Amino acid sequence: MAIAPEPLVVEGLVKSYGSVRAVRGIDLAVRAGEVFGFVGPNGAGKSTTIRCILDLLRPTDGLIRVFGQDPRHDGARVRQRVAYVPGELRLPERLTPRQFLTSLGRLRGGFERARLAELAERFKLDLDRRIRSLSSGNRRKVSVLSAFLTDAELLILDEPTGGLDPLMQHEFLRLVRERRAAGTTIFLSSHILSEVQSVADRMAVLRNGTIVAHGTVAEISGLARQRVEVWFETAAPPHLAGLPGIGEPELDGRRFSGVLIGSARPLIDALAGQPITSILINEPDLEEAFLGLYEDEAEERS
Amino acid sequence: MTGRVWELLAVPLRSARRAGLAWGISLAILVGLTVAFWPSFRDQPELADLIDAMPQGLVEAFGLADFNSPEGFLRGNLYAVLVPLLMAVAGVLLMNGQTAADEDAGRMEPYLAQPVTRGGVFLGRVIAVGAWLVVIGLLMLVTQLASDAVVDLEISTARIVDTVVLCLLLGALHAGLAALVAGATGRPGLVLAVGLAVGVGGYVVSALFPLSDILEPWRHVSPWDWALGGDPLTNQAEWWRYAALAGPALALVAMGALAFTRRDVSAA
Repeated sequence: MAIAPEPLVVEGLVKSYGSVRAVRGIDLAVRAGEVFGFVGPNGAGKSTTIRCILDLLRPTDGLIRVFGQDPRHDGARVRQRVAYVPGELRLPERLTPRQFLTSLGRLRGGFERARLAELAERFKLDLDRRIRSLSSGNRRKVSVLSAFLTDAELLILDEPTGGLDPLMQHEFLRLVRERRAAGTTIFLSSHILSEVQSVADRMAVLRNGTIVAHGTVAEISGLARQRVEVWFETAAPPHLAGLPGIGEPELDGRRFSGVLIGSARPLIDALAGQPITSILINEPDLEEAFLGLYEDEAEERS
Repeated sequence: MTGRVWELLAVPLRSARRAGLAWGISLAILVGLTVAFWPSFRDQPELADLIDAMPQGLVEAFGLADFNSPEGFLRGNLYAVLVPLLMAVAGVLLMNGQTAADEDAGRMEPYLAQPVTRGGVFLGRVIAVGAWLVVIGLLMLVTQLASDAVVDLEISTARIVDTVVLCLLLGALHAGLAALVAGATGRPGLVLAVGLAVGVGGYVVSALFPLSDILEPWRHVSPWDWALGGDPLTNQAEWWRYAALAGPALALVAMGALAFTRRDVSAA
């Protein structure tokens, strides 16, 4: 029996616009039934890659296979098995969400009305107000619903939570987990590391059109840098500066700050029992989180 | 499958409804109001004498010959310049709105991401624009025939039908040109520039070139000359005039659809 082809394979993908190389040789393999995080700062080439996968853009070089098929030549058939939430939200202003989603459903060969009602209820989206009058968060919900209403085997989500409030982001992540449990493969692009960490199985980090790291979420998270600040009731203990996994240590009276690289355990152990007033570990900014990776990459090149 | 094909047509039909109805109603009002002035023109031969005193070239350039005959009146006021020009502009604007402008705004992307072909999405939009041009032509035709009857403007129905159809096909030809530029480039500014320049240029060539002995033979390069060069309000138009407009319109659309399937879709 033939092995079912993987949902998504990308090899050596290059996309240039004139002299600008937006994507500079990307390799990816997404396995059936996993949530794959595609992480990188804005402008790293995430949307360009995704739009190539959907055959909205034509790659300059490289190979793309979706369930073994080439989107360039079997676009309609590929897209029957794929649903997409675009990063840029441009919707028909004069339609209501119900009209728009029904129309997209017809283009896919129909969808279940009951499911539309259920998802609209979960996301608290009014289906009968014109899209023109919706906030960016509500527009995002329309876009998210358009993908989750389908029975596509691969969901490609480009920054799907932008504009959603935290409660709705949470609901979205629940929905992603439900779909994964049902066997759907999910390709999730994001510039928010914590979002991918909380839901993805494996991930790739993209920067300047190339993948600088890929692996399981645990592996990659171990590479991330986070800025830490701790305030003490008394002077900050000086031995914190010498801890393993702490970079750029700074002691300033009752305040200690530094960069946490990899495991937080040595720091937490050292802080146990100390008179701490407050502790702040920032959501890692992607540029900063993978600074180490970028530097390594730069060294390798030179 | 048929549900999908229908939806590819239904989306642009609905989206162009406002613009299509606005064009149709405006042109119908223009025609109705113009015809309403016929009785006062007919009863004032002085105006026709005044026009006869103008240089012959000017009279022909603006289609003012025989101004106090029903044919001359309709030609001079409507079908020499205004109606064909507005049909061409309508064709370019409607086509631009459904193709390049929609793509440029990123609003085509949700549809192109569905299990349909690019060519299918594009042709659905082109056909919808064609259908709206037919509606505009019908609204104009019905208003023309009805108001002719009301004010006793006596003219052959067949000549009116021919003239409106030729103006409609001129609009379709310009819409086809817009479809080609949109399909090839996706740039709404360029679609408008090319479409409107060809529309106005075509009029200039067909109206003004005959005034010069050197340029006169070149009038035939203008689609306006193909459409209206035989004075369809007076003489039955030859069959090739329809073909000369419809054939290129279809060819331009086909080239536009092909070009659209071969390039990147613009990002929002």
